[in-house]
Amino acid sequence: MVIDVPFIWTAFVEILKALPLTLLITIGPLLGGLLIGIAVAAVRINSVKIITPIANVYVSFFRGTPAILHIMVIYLGFPLFINKLSRYYEWGFNANSIPIVVFVLIALSFTAGAYMSEIIRSGLLAVEKGQIEAAYSVGMNRFQSMKRIVFPQAFALSLPNLCNIFIGFLHTSSIAFIVSQKELNGAANIVASNNLKFLEAYIAAALIYWMLTMLIEGITALLERKLTVYNRGGVV
Amino acid sequence: MGKAFDIELIFTSIPQLLSYLHITIWILVASLVIGSTLGLFIALPRIYKVPVLSQIAAVYISFMRGTPILIQLFLVFYGIPAFLQLIHIDVSRMAPLVFVIITYSLSTAASFSEMMRGAINSVDKGQTEAAYSIGMTGTQTFTRIVLPQALVVAFPNFGNLVIGSLKDTSLAFTIGVMDMMGRGDTIIAATAHAVEVYIALAIIYYFVAIILEKFFVKSEQKLQRHDQPVHV
Repeated sequence: MVIDVPFIWTAFVEILKALPLTLLITIGPLLGGLLIGIAVAAVRINSVKIITPIANVYVSFFRGTPAILHIMVIYLGFPLFINKLSRYYEWGFNANSIPIVVFVLIALSFTAGAYMSEIIRSGLLAVEKGQIEAAYSVGMNRFQSMKRIVFPQAFALSLPNLCNIFIGFLHTSSIAFIVSQKELNGAANIVASNNLKFLEAYIAAALIYWMLTMLIEGITALLERKLTVYNRGGVV
Repeated sequence: MGKAFDIELIFTSIPQLLSYLHITIWILVASLVIGSTLGLFIALPRIYKVPVLSQIAAVYISFMRGTPILIQLFLVFYGIPAFLQLIHIDVSRMAPLVFVIITYSLSTAASFSEMMRGAINSVDKGQTEAAYSIGMTGTQTFTRIVLPQALVVAFPNFGNLVIGSLKDTSLAFTIGVMDMMGRGDTIIAATAHAVEVYIALAIIYYFVAIILEKFFVKSEQKLQRHDQPVHV
């Protein structure tokens, strides 16, 4: 047999050590993207002059180009920019001292922001307008009606999309190996070339990603059942 | 090395990169055609609840959607030669492009079958009953009544799938395919300027994505023209 089955387990254990970095590169950009996404969605929903077209171009550009290019442009472009500023203002520091993972996090946050803004926008728009009117009618102010009525419903409605983007970014984090990050895929590459057992290492990595994906799906399904209790319908 | 950032290089490299666009498009079209055909056949056992086959299809879809395309690319690239070696077929000199098209087809098939399953299930059951009532067979009902309606339902998702696949093609260079990204690497090696080349690549991908999006929006309007509300 060409495949060394026991080695898959060895590789599995070895690659699993890279899980924390993968989770960092997955969750970090999603949190960063959430902030960007809220800001962008707020701008687009309220159609602020001048900023809205910029926000539109940002969203469409980042959704229309591959994430690997975002990583490459920021990883290579930011240092040029920072070094120029640093020389100009004599900060006395060099972009080389910044860990690469920071650039990956910044780049993927911008990517996530574009997708997040669409999720947030569609979530907010999906909440019926009558809900806000009802909240006003019982004397809530704008902030209260947003916080107590609109957001909880928008969040529940967005859950499937949030699950998809979570899984999407778990998979996108595998690109970070291109800038020599030792996340799951990077670790699989190292295990593979050190032992010259490529197929086994990638099978192990695939199994880890697969299990993580199923875990995320399971948690989302549970959460969705809890959050949409209000929506069960029926008589009782 | 000259200037740190050479804005002119963005524009001079665009035509050079564009001359490799056809490879990207070729990967996209080939994997979409093969993947959608395969995807439809994977969706059928799940829709008709064929025992065994439907479970195999479910595991296949879960695996393909649960792992990154980059890992799938490596699995196919190293896995197919290893398995073919068992039956003494040497494919070590096969073009990497073939492995890329196989991977992207397999991946598209999984997404496409899920899409079609949802779309086919969304077609009203009464349609099938009506078709049976006028004496159509199961195959006729499926190909003449259900499938055309399901395709219209699936169309917007199909647009997203195509643009997603377009972006995925940017990873083909990792196994040595000379597409736009691969060509970009050679320009970087020759000029020692990387950011400019990657910006040029981003511009090209963006334009292709915009064109595809426009095309899908236009086609969708055409497909749904019979659904328009009646103006009195």
